[in-house]
Amino acid sequence: MNSQWNFALPLRRREVLVGAAASAVLSLTGREASAQSSELVVSNWGGDWNDRTVRFIESPLVESKGIKIVRALNLEPERKTKLLAERNLPRGSIDVAHFSAGDAFELNEQGILEQLDLSKIPNYANVRPALRSPYFVPWVFGGVTLAYNPKFIKKPPTSFADLWNPEYAGKLGVLDQSFYNWIYMAALVSGGKMNQVDPGFAKLLEMKKTMKPRIYPTHQQMAAGFANEEIWIAANYSARIAQWAKDGVSVRSAYPKEGPVSIVFGATIPKKARNKDAAYQYLNALLDPKGLGSYSEASMYAPSIGNAVLSDAVRGAIDFTPEQTAALNSPDYGYQAKNISQWQEWWNKEFKA
Amino acid sequence: VNTPASSTLGKLTMQTAGPASRPLPVRGALVVPALLLVCVFLMAPLGLIVRYSFDVYDPVKLMLAVFSLDNYRKVFADAFYQNVLGLTAKIAFLSTLITIALAFPVAYCISRTASEKRRSWLIILTVLPLLLGNAVRSAAWMVVMGTKGIVNSTLLGLGLIAQPLSILYTPTAVVIALVSVLLPYAIITLQSVMDSIPVSLEEAGQSLGYSPLRTVVAVVLPLAMPGLIAAAAICFALAMNAYATPVLIGGPKMQMMGPLVYEQIAKVSNWPFGATLACVLMASTVALTIISTRFLHKRYF
Repeated sequence: MNSQWNFALPLRRREVLVGAAASAVLSLTGREASAQSSELVVSNWGGDWNDRTVRFIESPLVESKGIKIVRALNLEPERKTKLLAERNLPRGSIDVAHFSAGDAFELNEQGILEQLDLSKIPNYANVRPALRSPYFVPWVFGGVTLAYNPKFIKKPPTSFADLWNPEYAGKLGVLDQSFYNWIYMAALVSGGKMNQVDPGFAKLLEMKKTMKPRIYPTHQQMAAGFANEEIWIAANYSARIAQWAKDGVSVRSAYPKEGPVSIVFGATIPKKARNKDAAYQYLNALLDPKGLGSYSEASMYAPSIGNAVLSDAVRGAIDFTPEQTAALNSPDYGYQAKNISQWQEWWNKEFKA
Repeated sequence: VNTPASSTLGKLTMQTAGPASRPLPVRGALVVPALLLVCVFLMAPLGLIVRYSFDVYDPVKLMLAVFSLDNYRKVFADAFYQNVLGLTAKIAFLSTLITIALAFPVAYCISRTASEKRRSWLIILTVLPLLLGNAVRSAAWMVVMGTKGIVNSTLLGLGLIAQPLSILYTPTAVVIALVSVLLPYAIITLQSVMDSIPVSLEEAGQSLGYSPLRTVVAVVLPLAMPGLIAAAAICFALAMNAYATPVLIGGPKMQMMGPLVYEQIAKVSNWPFGATLACVLMASTVALTIISTRFLHKRYF
């Protein structure tokens, strides 16, 4: 090959390359340094989830008090992996990490999360007792209910067992992202329990065979599946279904008689956080009755506190009645953490393959 | 992965070291910065990954630092992982083959374009897709290939099909999308090699009565073979390790190695097994590349 040709590259291009590399390095270290003191690094999900967090909580209740928030937006697997990876470093890179209760449980088992000093979170007193935890600020919660398109399914489904109704073969949507919810639902309709899911595996194999479900990687793709009528029935968080309906998709939520599988979202402080004072202020702001009320109205998730400011119409639509709250099927997080790796493997090898 | 960084660094050292007439020992020292960079940022983490692959996963402690071959035993005993590896290799091989076949004529045309200005434009146009992230391009493919996407709407509108075709979430879709990702790399690599083939050799061929097509096949192709092998090796490695394309275009049911590694490490926190899968993926990529390169060398040189 003619190597001389390579050497003859114009000098200017070399300088540009070198300059670009140098500035990339500078910007990395510069950001690292600036995130040290008065700034609060919040790691959260992106998209509309973060937009609403900024709009109803972070901007009016935290940043207005002079705390500058640096946002690290990603999905929870990355957030978890990052915290696990930096647990042996002297200082971490995240001050507040949003998680589901199940993820928080796992990380707490690893000794990564700060045990909360509740005197610094006065609003914690209003959190519903069933949701409280020593290392986790519950923020909003919801449950997995049935989603169906009323255009094709005239009689609303009433049970998770309707996901196995042969009339809907080929029109069933399954969400890969939350495979564990499908294991729970299958367990609930086949005599299993939230901490005894084994009967569900055979039931899921039956679903795979008789229903030929379409498997979607993310919520958005499942929503698109409903919109373009690839699927007529699925299960998902009732808040998500309500959001899709609000966006004009022909889909409705139906309450399963087994009770929804619950999910709780909230926030934690990693032990290695650099700015714990601001982190506590942030956690208290999350539970602000007015801020959280507005957030709930926008996201359709139920607020974790009993005194959120909600209009009556919205309360009826999104909040769980005491009976419904009691009927929620809450995962046994210890059991889940112990088995999730095996479940994922089973899901990959047996259900998806 | 390290090529752009180290070559940038190489250029930096070239520049600061002054004219190329310095004695040899100094020149040897010039590789030190790049070497250090590679050792610290590539070899060390790689070593850690290899070490992790012999650890054992524990649901509570996550990783037990032992020395066990269980993870490797699992990969090689379980047909599922072999099928995933096999599918990954098959898709990578097919995408590479198609990419090279498509890239060769394009690279030849660019290389033989007389106008310097037009040539530069063609090269810029070729590289342009690389400026867009892989995920963005995959998202665009999803719009094109979806059930109500551009292709299906057009075919339905023209009355050519009655039911929408399922293109998205099939191996074909992944191959199409991968080829579009790989094409620029292959074209640029091949074009620079063809630039070094003197046109006079082609003229000599033609003066001996070769048709233009035969000239390309008998003169250009053999001389471009080193570039062809290099381009194929790059494409194959990229395709084997692809992540965004299989996830977004292949969908959940198309299981390939890259996404599987991510899932084990990030989703279920099983670092030891994720590391094992990563090592197996790396080793098979290297092995397959070496074997096929050897084969081509033997065949053509």
